[in-house]
Amino acid sequence: MTTEPGDKTPRHLGAGPATGKSDAQLSLLPPVVAATASRELHPGSRLKPIPAPASAIVHKPEPLSGQPLWIAVWLPHLALDSLVQTGTAPPGPLIVVDDAARPRVHDGNRAARRAGIQPGMALADALAMLNTPIIVDYVPETMRQHLQALATVLLQFSDHVCPEPGQQRVLLEIGRSLRLFKGLEALEKRIMRTLRQLGYSPRIGCARTPAMARLLARLGHPERPRDRDSLRRVLTPLPLTALPLATGDLAVLRGIGLTRVGELLRLPRGDLALRYGNRLPTLLDHLLGDSPEVIPRFQPPDLPFFHLEFDQEVSSTGALRFPLKRLLQQLEQALRARHRSVQGLELQLLHREATTALSLERSHPGSRTEEWLELWSIRLSRVRLPAPVRGMRLQVARLLPLAGATSGLFGSAEGAADETGFLTRLRARLGDDAIARFVPTLNPLPEQAQEEYPPEEISSTVLATTTPAQRVVGAALWLQPIQPCPTPRGHGWLGRLEGGWWSNGNDQRRDYALARDHQGRRCWVFRDLRSGQWYTQGFWG
Amino acid sequence: MSALDELLAHPGLWRGREADTSVATPVRSSGFAQLDAALRGGWPRGQLTELIGGPFGSGETRMLLPVLTACTREQRRVVLISPPATPWIPGWRQLGVNPALVLMIRATTGDDVVWSCEQMLRQPGTGALLAWLRDPNTTLLRRLRLAAGSGDACVFLYRQPSASQQPSPAQLRIRWQGTTDHLRLEVIKHTGGWLPQSRSIMIAQDIPCHHSESGHPGSA
Repeated sequence: MTTEPGDKTPRHLGAGPATGKSDAQLSLLPPVVAATASRELHPGSRLKPIPAPASAIVHKPEPLSGQPLWIAVWLPHLALDSLVQTGTAPPGPLIVVDDAARPRVHDGNRAARRAGIQPGMALADALAMLNTPIIVDYVPETMRQHLQALATVLLQFSDHVCPEPGQQRVLLEIGRSLRLFKGLEALEKRIMRTLRQLGYSPRIGCARTPAMARLLARLGHPERPRDRDSLRRVLTPLPLTALPLATGDLAVLRGIGLTRVGELLRLPRGDLALRYGNRLPTLLDHLLGDSPEVIPRFQPPDLPFFHLEFDQEVSSTGALRFPLKRLLQQLEQALRARHRSVQGLELQLLHREATTALSLERSHPGSRTEEWLELWSIRLSRVRLPAPVRGMRLQVARLLPLAGATSGLFGSAEGAADETGFLTRLRARLGDDAIARFVPTLNPLPEQAQEEYPPEEISSTVLATTTPAQRVVGAALWLQPIQPCPTPRGHGWLGRLEGGWWSNGNDQRRDYALARDHQGRRCWVFRDLRSGQWYTQGFWG
Repeated sequence: MSALDELLAHPGLWRGREADTSVATPVRSSGFAQLDAALRGGWPRGQLTELIGGPFGSGETRMLLPVLTACTREQRRVVLISPPATPWIPGWRQLGVNPALVLMIRATTGDDVVWSCEQMLRQPGTGALLAWLRDPNTTLLRRLRLAAGSGDACVFLYRQPSASQQPSPAQLRIRWQGTTDHLRLEVIKHTGGWLPQSRSIMIAQDIPCHHSESGHPGSA
């Protein structure tokens, strides 16, 4: 793949017999047994180095699909990434500082790093090197939430995902997903693309064992070892500092004259355990896969939520669009991972002391970022911010099963979806009860002869027929609240309505008429037969 | 002779006598022969029509019923935007309008009304749109005209009587007034042609009353 392992090949092969000896103390894996057996067939092979291709032919390659393969996604600049997502990150040096008794630099942006800032540096030193940097506090809890959101997103690639908040890393097992995603290379590209779209800058390592994947991600190593031999081959030339060792352990190993991982691998592990405790052999076993490492499974929260803190306060709703887009993109990915869809979303704008809660309900479920962003833009443009916004939190009210795309064969369903789309837009801007359709009922009293419904709940078929009692009062077009009025001068009778005797105390006897008022309007009026009082019901129109 | 033909074929030249045939604005019949003649075929589609007059309830909605029933018969919707009263759907249905296709939108500000119009006119299923707007400024009216041009719906905008004195970008402007048994219409602007000779059109209003004021329904 690269030239690096190539020029180390003689070294690896020279160490061949020695490694065989150290492995003999452990349970040997079948491929290694096969290798030693084949070497005994050729007597000279113990002395002469075997060329690498020959050993590859002798080893029958293990079936690669189906066996575990781990990807480690390392986010070295997670704290910075989360700031970039808000869209408010200003130019100029910026450093993220651990909030401790003696503050230390956690990370710095490119401008700061170019000036010589390194993670772990004391804040005082950093301030001496930088001219008025922007300082942001590192909040572990926020990082943990970010990593969880990320793990939720990555669930679309594997069911076995594990966020490691302390190391800003997510592990995922992809051995069983390879065929689905058309091979390792395509899958890696896809993971990178997904994360980059969300505003993260990840590094990926991939290997048969999780420990090795972690190591490769941290080193940015391009090798993808998928069996034990290649694991060993990749590990051998690495310096000891590449291993995740405590400084004490490292010093001890240096003290006995080791510099490379290969030299450590050659030592008998039983003796290593006796002298230095179990830590070191366990690590090597995990790296080579000789003993499996148990990786817990990430359980996503029941209802996903996404949280973003701004480094600067935002006082216009227009500036909220960009960070909201990020949150919606995360949501879309997370929903895709779960095969779910949403119909309603809640957005909390976090102020210094208060919270503005907004909610949006759509007529049909969906998860596309563009659709939701358009609706939220409309909604946000109607909001007056009581105070500057420091962060936002997007919540899902309810998860719905993903609707299949099987609604209709010939277009009819398409029109319906279109219709609900514009209804949703109208409702986002004008309010929930701004749009109405009316359904006739069978009640003869005109004020109760129709009911208002949200438009989606009505099928286009006519629900009830006009009753004769409704015809009696005439075909007026407009209804108004009933108001008493003086006796009209000129009027023409329409008909008599007697109704409501079946419902308690609502017995009505009315004579309907059409009258013209002094302004020339044609009013729809009735006289109550009991009291003789005239009322207006509406307009003839 | 050929020079004259050439000249007559020039698109910049407009001849009054041919106005009603040369410009083919799609129309929807108004249902009244006299009105159709005055409007060169009927209510224009994809154009903004202003109906100026008052007060509300003098028969200016009933006048449009032939258009509205035709729309719902074609399964196209009728949109009412911020009407001054609630539609009484049983009445509409008696007159042939399918209630399931009548949509009412409540919008308060002029901006919201025009925005709703734009949204609805962009939908292909909209057949007729009736909007009530109190004091629109020229910007809003221009937006409405543009929105009307984006679809093929008949767009009617009801305005106050005083609006007839103000200029407007609407293609068709009609002043209406209720009389005892008629609605009198007067075309005050119609782009792309002459105003009709007899500018006043009377539309009879049917009064479905059984009796005169002396009679009584119960005694019949």
